[in-house]
Order: sequence, then structure tokens, then C-alpha cells
Amino acid sequence: MNMYLYELKAYRNATMIWTASMTGLVLLMMAMYPSFAGDAEAFMDVLASMPESVVQAIGIQIDSIASLLGYYSYIFLYVSLCGAIQAMHLGSSILSKETREKTADFLLAKPVTRGAILISKALAALTLLLATNIVYFGAASLIASSVALEPYDYGAFALISFSLLLLQLIFLAIGIAAAMLLPRMKTVLPVTLGTVFAFFVLTFIGSSSGNGKLRYVTPFHYFDRAYIIQHGSYETGFVAASLVIIAVCLLFGYLRYRSRDVHAV
Amino acid sequence: MPIIELNHLTKSYGGARGIHDLTFQVEEGEIFGFIGPNGAGKSTTIRTMLGLIYPTSGSAKIFGKDCVQHGPEIKRHIGYLPSEVFYYDNMRVKDLLQYSASFYKKDCRKRMIELAEVLELDMSKRIDDLSLGNKKKVGIVQGLLHEPKLIILDEPTSGLDPLMQQRFFSLLEEENRKGAAILFSSHILSEVQRLCDRVAIIKEGRLIALEKMSDLKDRTYKKFKLQAKNELPEGMFAIEGVTEWNSKNGEASFLYQGDINIVMRRIAELDLLNLWVEEPDLEEIFMHYYAKEA
Repeated sequence: MNMYLYELKAYRNATMIWTASMTGLVLLMMAMYPSFAGDAEAFMDVLASMPESVVQAIGIQIDSIASLLGYYSYIFLYVSLCGAIQAMHLGSSILSKETREKTADFLLAKPVTRGAILISKALAALTLLLATNIVYFGAASLIASSVALEPYDYGAFALISFSLLLLQLIFLAIGIAAAMLLPRMKTVLPVTLGTVFAFFVLTFIGSSSGNGKLRYVTPFHYFDRAYIIQHGSYETGFVAASLVIIAVCLLFGYLRYRSRDVHAV
Repeated sequence: MPIIELNHLTKSYGGARGIHDLTFQVEEGEIFGFIGPNGAGKSTTIRTMLGLIYPTSGSAKIFGKDCVQHGPEIKRHIGYLPSEVFYYDNMRVKDLLQYSASFYKKDCRKRMIELAEVLELDMSKRIDDLSLGNKKKVGIVQGLLHEPKLIILDEPTSGLDPLMQQRFFSLLEEENRKGAAILFSSHILSEVQRLCDRVAIIKEGRLIALEKMSDLKDRTYKKFKLQAKNELPEGMFAIEGVTEWNSKNGEASFLYQGDINIVMRRIAELDLLNLWVEEPDLEEIFMHYYAKEA
């Protein structure tokens, strides 16, 4: 419990900043929706004149962009990018902290098992991500209902927004695994940004080439917003894939954390 | 029951580093010196005992329990001061100490304040702002606040001024009187000499000697260097125990092992300008052990 509270406190400020920026992003972009929707016809003409693959690559669905959910889907791509960076950074940073700050000798000499340390850290990270999502979801719902010009499918909206948490859990697990794969990691940010952007670029390639298999490679594609709007649910296969990734990464992190030698630096 | 029991403990990293086949015991209430030059494997041994690294073969037991299997249980009664103290930045000394205390199921507040007072540690300061010596003090308080039964110190005195070193040593003696065993690792023999009952000497990962401090002292050399007003008489120091005799223009240096009074009487017969008597440093003691082995 003490370790959990300590980690919560240590990452409180960073989480508040991430939450504020993601909330700010959605508020700002959604606030522009009414004026955007007014000129949607002209905007769609412009989009239609662009090569199809480019439009797909940047994640725009021409036929639905003028609707609230379509517009939100587009913004959400960037929210989820932020969310992924936050989650992976949190995961790898919280676990590699002992080696980076040379505090392993402090923590591991205390009467606790390594499993307990890992679980406290993972739970603290989970709590912080939940807090981020609650705030984000509240703000997004509020702004969506206040800018909506006509009734929209709140269920689909909620599902899209909730996919932020799922995506973040995937990247949290990847971050934890990364911290164990690179035990001498000195700075977390380059590894985080590299990984997240690599997946993000794969998303663009996957979208424009229309290759179905490639979707499994990039978590940004797991929760397809067009599909959610159409069917009102997630795609089972990708939910399963998420769970597998999370389970594998966490298991690897756990086994590695328990068994590795912690060297003096 | 021995407090620490190492049984053919080996940790290899493939190369020359690591430790090989270490076997020794630390008894209850003992202050045990663990000396060796840098890179000899002292920290590796300690880190294995604390479960920071896992042994390749052999075992380490503390309080009769295996270090790998019963880590948390054992560590409840261990106080550890790492050689390099780094603590979470952005924390005040007080917060860190309270965090440290929160791992033990007892109220450590009183002892924490006592220790901080003895060492003159300002608990309201931020850890980043502390000097090396003050960080070391945080480490000491952190290691002692739960009144452990075994205190493990890895090069504990670096950065402490002589006054604080004295206070720290008295703290250790006090803990020892209360029943705590102490494992004191160092590369400076004189610190170990003052406190320890027994010493283990380790070099290149192997135990090369394990003896009582008193025996070690008896058998070590003293370095003499003297400067006389006149030429030294021939054969003046041709007595048993004198080695490496060097003399030139009234200056002489030699090593001596044996009853100090005999050599002092000889020296007293001279008209001296100056005299140096030095303890041999650790390196020279190692030389001595190497010579013995060869």
C-alpha cells in the first residue's frame, strides 16, 4: 500500500498535465464543430478532390466527417496518440525508475517481494490511467452534447471514448515490457516516442493500403471508429488481440522483474 | 546459529568479475569486517545476500534462512547502507525516511528523530540539495531506524567528516551492544581495525584470508623510516623481524614484524632527526598474503 501511494504521488503531476492536454484538445476541437458542420459541404468537396489514399491515411471518412461522431472520430485519432504516449511513458518509467535513479538498493533492500513491488507499481499506473479517462470522458461527453446540432448515438460515442482506456492499457503493458527488455534504459522518452510513432505511422500505411492483416500490427487500428458507429460494438477479434498483448507483456514483465539481477551502477 | 552463513557462494558473469566459492560465517553479536580492494566482489557478495542479484551456485543464509527463498522475511531485520546513496529526487529528507519506515511493521519515528539529531541531519531539506556527506547521513538513518538485527554497511564512511565518522562509529557500537551483528565492508583497513572482531579479506572474488583482527594485527608489518644525525652503525638493526632494509646517508627504512619494544629500544640508542612509523596499507597486507601463498 505504501508503495502504491508513493507511486501515485510521484506521477500525480505528470498525469494531471497529460489529462489537461488531452481534455484541452478535445474541448478545443469539438468547440469548432458547429462552424465546421456549417461549411461541411465545401470541406467535403476539397477532400473529394484529394487522392483517396491520402484521405484514408489521415483517418478521414469523407461521408461521415460532417456528423458529430464522424468529426469526433477524426479528432479521437490524435487524442489516442497522446493517450498512447502517456500510457507507455508511464509504464516504462514507473518500472525503470529504480535503475534510472539508482534507487534499487533502497527499494529492494526493504522487506517486500519483487512481485509486490511490481503489482503496486502496475496498480498505481492503472489508477492514474483510470483517473485520466474519467476526466477525459466527462469533458468529452459534456462538450459533445453541448455542440451537437442533432441527436447522436451516445452509445457509440461512449464506446469510442472508452477505447482510449483500452488503447492505453495496451501501451501501458508494452511500456512495462519495454522497461524489462531494455534494463539499462537511462531515459524513457526516446523509447516511448519511437515506439508509439512507429505504430502510428504503421496506422497510416495500414489505412491507405487497406491491408486487413496489417491492422493487427498496430493497436491504433484495433478499435475502428467507423465500425463502432455502424455496429455499436467493438470487433471481437481485436478485443481478443488486445487482451493477448496485455497478458503477454505483463507476464513477461512480471517474470523478468522477479528473476533479473539488479546491478550496482 | 550464525547470523550470516555463506556456503560456496558463487556468482559469475562469465568473465573475471564476480565471486567464487565464498564460504564464511558471521556469528551473533559480531562486528565483521569485509575488506578488499575495489572490484574485489564485496558489493556483489552483499547484493547477493540482499537478493538484488541471484547466485550462480552455492547459497547464502541469513538468520538461518535462505536469502533467495525468504527474502522479505529476512530483510525485515536487516538495515542496509549502500555504497552509493541515491534517493528519489523531489523528496524531503523527512518524506524519504517516513517512506522507508513505512516498510517496517513498527513505529520508527522516535528512533528516526534521535538518529537525525545525533548526526545533525536537517530533515526538512530536499534530498537533491544535500551534499554527499549529508546524503550519506540520510542513508545511515534510513538503514538504522528500524533497529535491525543485522546491519550491512557497504563502504559506509566515504563523504563523512572525521567528527561524523566518530559519531557514526559510536552509533554502530551502541547498536552492537544492543545485540545487532554488523557486516562492515571497506577498502580501508584502519576503519575496519577499530571496530571489527574478525575480518574476511577478499581479492578477485576469492576469499584469501579469514582471521581475528587481533591475529591479523600481530602478524602485520609496521613500516619504519628514520633519519639519524650521524651515519647508522653497521648491523644496528640486524634483528629478527626486520625486512626490506634500505639505508643511505643516515636515512633508513625497513619493515618490522614482532615485538615493538625490541625495535624501539634500538631506535632509542640513536640520535634522531626524524622518525616515521606507519601501518602498512591494505595493498601491502595483500602483498603479504600473496607472498605467503606463493
